[in-house]
Amino acid sequence: MAYVATRGGERAIEQAERMYRAQTGRITPSRVKEIGAALPALVDRVMGEASLYAPDLAALALAQSGGDLYEALLLLRAWRTTQPRLQVAEPVAADEGFTHRRISAAFKDIPGGQILGPTLDYAHRLLATQVLEGEAYKPAAVTPAATPAPARHPSLAAWQVAQGLVEPPMADPVDRDAIPDLTREPLLFPAKRAHTLQSLARADTGGTLALGYSAMRGYGTAHPTVNELRLSEVEVRVRHPRGVTFSAGRVKTSQAEVVTTKGKDRLRLGFAATLGWNEVKVISAATLDLNSPGAPKNSPVNEEFFLYHTEPVESSGFCIHFKLPHYVTFQSSLDALRGAQAKKEAPTPAKTEETA
Amino acid sequence: MTALAKAMPQLVTAEPLMRFDSLSKRYGPVVALDDVSAHVYPGEVLGIVGESGSGKSTLLRMMNLQESPDAGTYALDLPDLPPNLFDLDRFERRMLCARRIGIVYQNPHQGLLMKNSSSGNVAERLLIAGERRFHVLREKARGALDASEFPLDRMDAPPVELSGGMQQRVQLAKAIALEPALLLLDEPTTGLDVSVQALVLDTLKRLQQDRRMTMVLVSHDLGVIRTMADRVMVMRQGKVVEEGLADQVFQDPQHAYTQQLVHAKL
Amino acid sequence: MTLASLTRPWRAFSYGFLDASAKREMRRKMIKAVAVPGCQMPYASREVPIARGWGTGGLQVTLTLVNPKSVVKVIDQGADDSVNAASIRRFLTRVSGAGATNDTLAASLIQSRHRIPEEKLRADQILILQVPNPEPLRPVEPNMSAARQMHADADYGRLWLTLYEQIVRSGRVMQGASYPSMVNGRHVMSPSPIPRWDVPKLHMADHLTILSAGREKRIFAVPPHTRVEPLVFDDVPYRVEDHAGLTCARSGLTGYFMNEIPQDGGGSAHEVSDSELGVKAIRRAEGEDPEIGATWYVDGEMQR
Repeated sequence: MAYVATRGGERAIEQAERMYRAQTGRITPSRVKEIGAALPALVDRVMGEASLYAPDLAALALAQSGGDLYEALLLLRAWRTTQPRLQVAEPVAADEGFTHRRISAAFKDIPGGQILGPTLDYAHRLLATQVLEGEAYKPAAVTPAATPAPARHPSLAAWQVAQGLVEPPMADPVDRDAIPDLTREPLLFPAKRAHTLQSLARADTGGTLALGYSAMRGYGTAHPTVNELRLSEVEVRVRHPRGVTFSAGRVKTSQAEVVTTKGKDRLRLGFAATLGWNEVKVISAATLDLNSPGAPKNSPVNEEFFLYHTEPVESSGFCIHFKLPHYVTFQSSLDALRGAQAKKEAPTPAKTEETA
Repeated sequence: MTALAKAMPQLVTAEPLMRFDSLSKRYGPVVALDDVSAHVYPGEVLGIVGESGSGKSTLLRMMNLQESPDAGTYALDLPDLPPNLFDLDRFERRMLCARRIGIVYQNPHQGLLMKNSSSGNVAERLLIAGERRFHVLREKARGALDASEFPLDRMDAPPVELSGGMQQRVQLAKAIALEPALLLLDEPTTGLDVSVQALVLDTLKRLQQDRRMTMVLVSHDLGVIRTMADRVMVMRQGKVVEEGLADQVFQDPQHAYTQQLVHAKL
Repeated sequence: MTLASLTRPWRAFSYGFLDASAKREMRRKMIKAVAVPGCQMPYASREVPIARGWGTGGLQVTLTLVNPKSVVKVIDQGADDSVNAASIRRFLTRVSGAGATNDTLAASLIQSRHRIPEEKLRADQILILQVPNPEPLRPVEPNMSAARQMHADADYGRLWLTLYEQIVRSGRVMQGASYPSMVNGRHVMSPSPIPRWDVPKLHMADHLTILSAGREKRIFAVPPHTRVEPLVFDDVPYRVEDHAGLTCARSGLTGYFMNEIPQDGGGSAHEVSDSELGVKAIRRAEGEDPEIGATWYVDGEMQR
């Protein structure tokens, strides 16, 4: 058949995928383990955006995608969506987690104290080139404090509420099992509070930073002060069918609360939280949350604008889809264009009327 | 019989076209309108004057059904309308405004699609009303622009490329394209050069005389009101402090505030 | 009795990839979409193992409708062998065990990007169109909440205005593909970027068309025997692409939508965009006798 010569689609895509996979080679359990151990920040970031707390699967996805974050994310999201939702866990209050790090920029000291915890904030960013010359880099051991910091810390906002500085948050009357779930229903606007927070929790770190940064630079109305940034481990407490509530394990979480003094007579808060430790993301997301009330339509701090445009699977997918052939639509527009050119040569009634 | 009816019997041969009764509106502690009543007869130009914050803009937004009062009613003497227009839902309000009420805003950005063609801005009105013939859209847009004394060789230029006076003429053409029962003018010449202002006012006057168009003109500028209005309402702090025939109010203002205004101007 | 004996053995994925809760939502939203033709229904839109923007909306519909007896045809820009069509077809058959075909007449489900086959579809066939942007109002109102309100009010003045502007500026309507069309006299839809050539095929058709945008999370439908009318002025007729007189350089077919192939040294050749129709014509010329169904267009003229 004369037509068959051009019909190599199936073979072409198979070979193209093989070429990509040849770059990364064999994926072994030890490689996945090494990725998980060596790149905790990356694993955390991917878990947060995937909204799936599974360090092993995240490391596997990173191995399988060769480190392409959007590919890794899609692998995890596509896996996650096929899993049954067994339960909604017990809510976790801020002061219930095991806090590793908790700082406030709003006060010099806060009830419970500033806990620096693990951070590179004050590290000198010098590339350890000696490693390439064969000398291993060995981090110095941590010297424990004389008195260990308490594991649990009160929330600063609770103190501010008690002082009358902050409006106490409105209790959401929704029954726990009826909490809207963004992964099972569409996002519509004005968005439900649960949807907003869920959407920010799984937003693209880079996208959230870009839009959050635009708000910080002045495209928003409220300048954020970090009221509280907290990295914790929290218990996932679920109910056994027999009625006992038990912990099914711990997950790492980040939460940020930013504050502006530009309220009427009280402070206004913006909030964001995510799975895994990812400080840039929660501070940016909380800044967007802070700025969104009453933001003009189509501004970067308008809720519809930033939630749609920081969805990593949708935005990255749409971006790469432009590689697909578009020759039918192109042909259709070309036809209209040629028609218009022809009209220009022979004036139409509409055109002659104009000069009349 | 009211004093007005005695003075101008030709106006009361008809029922009022528009009637407001006891409109009140508060924004938190601010009283925007306090028991305001008014009526406009067909073919009449009502001028509403007052400083910013007097309530005149709130009143105009209500006439255009963009806002509802806390209390009070609004009626237009046109077929198939309820006795109180504030009973209409959002959709019905939109259709009524698109078809029967024209408006010219102070800021052309509020009334125009700045990047569409000028004729398109006029045509949009006709499209909302269901016109689906291209040549009719062209003819009617041309007619309305012509009546607004807009230069027709620029009819397809976008407003963003036009001067302020021309933009106001496009707004005017859009407002009159469907021959509305009521034309609302919200500070239509504020911000224009004095010479341009006079030209736009000339156009408005001519239109009013040719078509006996019913107009409500809101302005802080007594000169503009005096040029245009048959009857004047003076507002202050949400209240009507004085009302009467234009000549009467300007020559012999009764209320102290009006006296102050008139003397400051003259 | 043990717990294991009461449950099915564990499997990594459900039949047809999507789990039961996702399919239930899809069925409900499809029924709603059929009930209000042309109206965009929001849905959760699960992630699937291909990237967003690559047919995930169409894929979710097909995955929900597919069963082991289905025969699926997948086309991209009219071609069965386009790389992404091949990828989707392979995925569909892999997770469902359904049959695959290139022949429009043999298919029960046709998932397509940007084209409707030239052979007429029957009442027992379902056409699933992949939709990148479901919102015809997007060019005049990018805010989705505001656009939803405009649909509720049938507020299409600004959309009509874009057509007016095109005629004023260029002397003709310049809308290429995804020509905005009124469905059942009530909702304006964007019929996915099918060329203008294909829009009349949806009007009063025998088959059901489901349009699904995975990334934008909207699904809408044109049920059988439903009016689909492109927005046109009464005195400016609708014009399909000027392809009626073009001849396919490979198959010799004339009077169908064509791809233009630029030639060395200037000029263009054409090949029929519905690749399988081209294959059938070539097979006929070579002495075989493949069945060619009735086509919507005959000699370049739409048949009513």
